[in-house]
Amino acid sequence: MKTPGDALECGHSFAELSAYLDTGEIADPAHLDSCPECQAGLASLRRLSELGNELLTADVAEAGSGGDDWMQTILDNLRLELRPGRSIPLRAEDPQDTLWETEGSVSALIRSVADSFPGTAAGKCRLLGDITEPGAGITVDVEIAVVYGHAMEERAAALRNELAKMLQVQTELDIQAINITVTDVLELPAPAMTPNTEDQP
Amino acid sequence: MTEHVEAKSATLADELLGVVQAVEGVSAVYPAQPLWQSVAGAAVAAVTGEQLPLINLTEQDGTLAIKARIGVGSPLPAPKVAREAAAAIRRHLGNVPAVVEVLVAKIEA
Amino acid sequence: MPDSHPWKGRNVTGSPAVSPTAQQPLDLVPDALLAGRAADGDTAAFEALARRHGPLMRATARRLTGTLADADDVVQESLMQAWKQLDQLRDPAAVKSWLLRIVGTRSIDHLRKRRNHLALDDLENHVDAPSGQRTPDPESTAVNASRVDALKSALTLLPEEQRRCWVLKEFNDLSYEEIALTLNISPASVRGRLARARIALARTMEEWR
Repeated sequence: MKTPGDALECGHSFAELSAYLDTGEIADPAHLDSCPECQAGLASLRRLSELGNELLTADVAEAGSGGDDWMQTILDNLRLELRPGRSIPLRAEDPQDTLWETEGSVSALIRSVADSFPGTAAGKCRLLGDITEPGAGITVDVEIAVVYGHAMEERAAALRNELAKMLQVQTELDIQAINITVTDVLELPAPAMTPNTEDQP
Repeated sequence: MTEHVEAKSATLADELLGVVQAVEGVSAVYPAQPLWQSVAGAAVAAVTGEQLPLINLTEQDGTLAIKARIGVGSPLPAPKVAREAAAAIRRHLGNVPAVVEVLVAKIEA
Repeated sequence: MPDSHPWKGRNVTGSPAVSPTAQQPLDLVPDALLAGRAADGDTAAFEALARRHGPLMRATARRLTGTLADADDVVQESLMQAWKQLDQLRDPAAVKSWLLRIVGTRSIDHLRKRRNHLALDDLENHVDAPSGQRTPDPESTAVNASRVDALKSALTLLPEEQRRCWVLKEFNDLSYEEIALTLNISPASVRGRLARARIALARTMEEWR
């Protein structure tokens, strides 16, 4: 199908040049080599392609890094959707109703409480025991990474407290124990130092 | 035998969606039937471009079965919000016999 | 204190909150290996792939759907589909273009669903056009608009089918066959639409100069 402006004066078409740009193949390579119109058309298409690349670079830069919040939100949502875990029953008012919360939603909440403590990041999080059975005794295991320098015992105790409060409000589980294990101690890089020449004799 | 109640239920599902969204503490309503768990649903949606219904309605032996999957936002407790969502659905249905299932899939601190 | 640890000495900022996503050990592993592990069920490997290709997926979805909000929805849906279909990926090394093809399909589906609720005119007006005008005249946009901005404007003027082919080619370097599969048209149609898109864009850009 010919488009207005597709035809070049030499009788060949932009469409051929466009396909040549993408595939390196053209019906009459000898003509292409010698035809000023075709060469000009190709140059124009190449300029456009370069500009397209600039746009791509700008767009990708604008899209940010895969470590940014927007991606973290997407991954969090993915986890909730793809790994809901077991269903934790909730008391219903009407005996005909069944109400639940997913294990995934509770784990995510535990992680976000741990993450909200300064210098702390949650790792693995487990609810041990039969959470699908109302009233069953449950143990919570949480692994955390802590930045070196924070009083760890104090941090773990504070976190345990916060988690206990949160679980009391957001679940109807009978929490018997909350175990916090520090699995990683992180070192912050030393602040950038300018060479301290004043002290030298 | 489970039947899908057709045109009538499309409006009811929309109404119930509004009802659930209006419950204090409900931050989101997710498709009750996640896409991949409902192969037939996915196929239909792909052809017609329709949004999958968020509130799931089926009828079994004269009783309506309603399923909703929600997100809960702070500061209200998830168990309370789930109960309130179920209650709101029942209030909207009036005397129609129904079985309600609410699943909390996300809790925001 | 452990001797060697992936996070120690790495790109951890001095701010009090430590983000576990600051630097991950899997970030250095090549695509093919990550895809293999992810297909086995390794969610950490899958997330590493998501973080690595996320920005390009987001940029592509943004040009295909018109808005960043839609783009993020599309990226999420694409990753969900990818996770479910990983075992269908025959060439793990090609996971990047596979992800981008899914983004292409999901972007179009997304637009189709939105269209059921919006008139077509309204939809066009939701696009993030740089000047906000319905038919931006490249000469009347801000005097110092860069050539890239002019290209963005020119892109929004293209018929949708041409724009899609152009984005999938220029952004994702998909072959005619891959674009054809994504858009459910023939490779010959791809060739034609691509040519028409380039003619229109080149003409607009030349006039702008």
